[in-house]
Amino acid sequence: MIRAVIIDDERNSRDIISLMLGKYCPEIEAVGMAANCREGIEQIRMHQPQLVFLDLEMPDGTGFDVLAGAYDSSFEAIFVTAFEKRFLHTIRLSEVELILKPIDKESLLQAVGTVVQRIGQERHHDRYEVLLRNFGKPAGEVRQLVLPAAAGPEEIVGVEDILYLEGQADKTVFYLRDGRTLPSARTFRYYTELFAPMRFYQINNTHMVQVPHIQQLDPAGNKIHLQNHCLDVTERRMRELVALWKQD
Amino acid sequence: MNRLIVTFLLFCCALRPAGQAFAQDTLALDFTAPVRELDVRPYLQLFRGSPGINAPASIPPAAFVQDTAVFHLHKKALHTVNDRWLRFSIKNTGAKTATLYFFTGWHDALTWYPPAPQTPVATGLMTDRGNVSRWDRFAFPVQLAPGQAGTFYLHVVNRFYRENNFMPVLFDAVNYAEFRQDQADHYKSEALIIQLLLGMLLVLLAITIINYTQLPDRSSLYFAGYLLGLIIFFALRLETKPFQLSFFHFCPMFKYYWDVPAMLFCFYLMYMLFGNMFLSLRERYPLLEKAYRYGAIATGVLIVLCITLIAMGNYQAPAIIYKAVYYITFIPLAISFIALARRTRHHPLVRFFLFGSLSLFLLSFYAFLVNTEPVGFTPLPELVAPYNLLILGVLLHVLFFAAGLSYRNKLVHQEKTKTQEMLIKQLNKNKDLQRKLNVQLEELVKEQTTEILRKKMELEEQRKLQLDIEYGKKLAEIELKAIRAQINPHFIFNCLNSIQLFVMQRDFEHAQKYLSDFSYLIRKTLDFSRRNFISLADEITYLNTYLGLEKMRFEQKMSYEIVIDPTIAAAELEVPAMLLQPYVENAVKHGMNNDERVTGLLVITFRLAASDMLECVIEDNGIGIERSRALRSLPPHHQSSGMEISLNRAELLNKMYNTDIQIEIIDKSRKQANDSGTIIRIFIPQL
Repeated sequence: MIRAVIIDDERNSRDIISLMLGKYCPEIEAVGMAANCREGIEQIRMHQPQLVFLDLEMPDGTGFDVLAGAYDSSFEAIFVTAFEKRFLHTIRLSEVELILKPIDKESLLQAVGTVVQRIGQERHHDRYEVLLRNFGKPAGEVRQLVLPAAAGPEEIVGVEDILYLEGQADKTVFYLRDGRTLPSARTFRYYTELFAPMRFYQINNTHMVQVPHIQQLDPAGNKIHLQNHCLDVTERRMRELVALWKQD
Repeated sequence: MNRLIVTFLLFCCALRPAGQAFAQDTLALDFTAPVRELDVRPYLQLFRGSPGINAPASIPPAAFVQDTAVFHLHKKALHTVNDRWLRFSIKNTGAKTATLYFFTGWHDALTWYPPAPQTPVATGLMTDRGNVSRWDRFAFPVQLAPGQAGTFYLHVVNRFYRENNFMPVLFDAVNYAEFRQDQADHYKSEALIIQLLLGMLLVLLAITIINYTQLPDRSSLYFAGYLLGLIIFFALRLETKPFQLSFFHFCPMFKYYWDVPAMLFCFYLMYMLFGNMFLSLRERYPLLEKAYRYGAIATGVLIVLCITLIAMGNYQAPAIIYKAVYYITFIPLAISFIALARRTRHHPLVRFFLFGSLSLFLLSFYAFLVNTEPVGFTPLPELVAPYNLLILGVLLHVLFFAAGLSYRNKLVHQEKTKTQEMLIKQLNKNKDLQRKLNVQLEELVKEQTTEILRKKMELEEQRKLQLDIEYGKKLAEIELKAIRAQINPHFIFNCLNSIQLFVMQRDFEHAQKYLSDFSYLIRKTLDFSRRNFISLADEITYLNTYLGLEKMRFEQKMSYEIVIDPTIAAAELEVPAMLLQPYVENAVKHGMNNDERVTGLLVITFRLAASDMLECVIEDNGIGIERSRALRSLPPHHQSSGMEISLNRAELLNKMYNTDIQIEIIDKSRKQANDSGTIIRIFIPQL
């Protein structure tokens, strides 16, 4: 059995999560409930759960506060929120599970499945460190992100180190400053959205570059140079890129 | 009368016995016997004098001859100066010293030389001035002692073109007085007529001058000149009427100067000038006007010439000039009359002018024709008798002219009246026109003013529209934000979550209730977000529903109360849509977030702060806005923006509707240290 603690400021929410767990996830047992951060931290300490359902918005703080207060690499967390845009970026970068209220069965099962899989794995807690590290920072200043692998362990990459990323059939390849290339199971399109508020710029259908790393612009030939890479830029985007680059 | 006397005298002469002819040289006469008009021609010796001789002593006695042809009983035209010396010797055969009177007639200049020691006496029409009783001096006293004889000389000089009766006679004192009486009576009638005429002329002159001052017309002026000339002329004629009163005897020469020149002046110069003006010949008959004008100029020159000649002592030449003028102008004047007569129909004034002219012309001509003086046809009135015809002519002349002038004045007046009427008409027309124009102008101004006002309003509207659009945009933005903020997505999904729970728990009644309330809230939110103002009743219902849903979520953790002043007509008051909701939501959130109190209490109060001011108070017992803010400082970019949006909306509404919505936020702990919570006071003016 997997022990779980549910932290939510609304009783209805807590009830519904425990109800649904009982109904669809019999392997999980809700051992504790809390209505705010303070209580939540107490409950986690008390029950030592493997899984915590964590509401993001509570009267005395956020789910992150609970995480920061109680995290000791012993549990996985699933964030639950009715509607939250503010923390979405941070959560996505860290590849932490998030389900939305009203909770439907599929997303619950999918999130629980993903998380249960990770329980007991090595380094699976790094994502929470990334989360806490990035927490509270504007999009342009986030430090790290987690790259989910189709198989095998995830990689944690410093945002600073990314030269550019390249979209491929069902994955995205990250080209780093130290010459490494890392794949991500996420699509290129997922990252163009995720990186849009950061200092990345999509130069064509399959490439997105980190603007500060561009060493040379070749507007005539519609090419850019980053370290030893040379990339094509569509004509329309070149003009915007020139403006951006000059700003930088 | 004269004739009678003369006939009588002649008769007497014829009867007188020729016994005295023996002493042709000396008349022997009993001075005491009555002597009445004794013809002394047989005893007179004459000598034609010359300017150099001025005393009888310088004439040789032999030069005196008897010449009875010199004497005449009537007026006579003179063509040269008649300078005669008369010598008369007489002897008093009576027993007493007595005085007889020697009379020869009314002459221009007479000098009487009695024997010494008596001194010579000078008299005459030309010499006697006002300082002497002149009419007494034409009979010279012949005084001799009984038996004494004496020789008397009389120097007669007639320079004028007319010589009065020249007949030497003797009177005794009584008969001389009688003679004087007769003469005075004889001339009285003539003088009377002249005086009458003068009176009339003076009256006319006065009237003419008065008229002229009233209506300055040149013809009146010329007529006045003509009248004045006539008046002076006739007044001067009195000078030659013996024993009559006269006006100008202080200046005996004046009558000679104003004789021929007067006639030229009155009947030619002024007449023609007057005709020109009176008939307006310049416009109507330029040819005649020219003729009259040149005639007048010529006459003027002749007048000056005549006066000069008279001043030089030549009285004959002016008479010749006058006669010449009369004869020369006779036919042309007649022609001009005919020419004028042909125009009578077109010009009524011509009639007056013609009648006046013709009456003088014809009467004078007739008078000249029937002249009783034995001088033949002459135009010189001095030589014409009866004089009354001439006077009548002049009088008619003057009267017709005067009447013509009045008629002319009438015409002028009529013309003036007509012109005035026309002027008045024109003026009225002008006034009408002006009025019309004014009305038009006013209309135009009105139109333009309206146009300007319209444009201004349009502009204003445009500006307003633009502002509205701007505000609208801003409002739309804020409203969008407001919708997002006010229906907190959290709230929506939490609600849905709750409903889900009820469904899962098979509590369908609650689920239904929750669902319908939720639907109501969403519907109202969507509805209100499109409106700026909603009624207070709607707002209250909305808040009630909202709080009801919140309470369902939080159950006993919160309670709320909406207090409405019973005097408020909630359906009529208006509040900005969705303005209160963010504050209420905040209050709900904060009210439950107080560890010291189990239950969050929320009180919303509506009351009238003034007759037109709605006051909403939202009060909670939470931790207070300040502490809440401090707690929330963790994510710095996060801000509960609902209240901010409400504040912005209030500002925008204030601008848009020119109203003054005020929002006060008070932390209770500020007022009282042991108290906590937040009070939001919103003042909404009612329009």
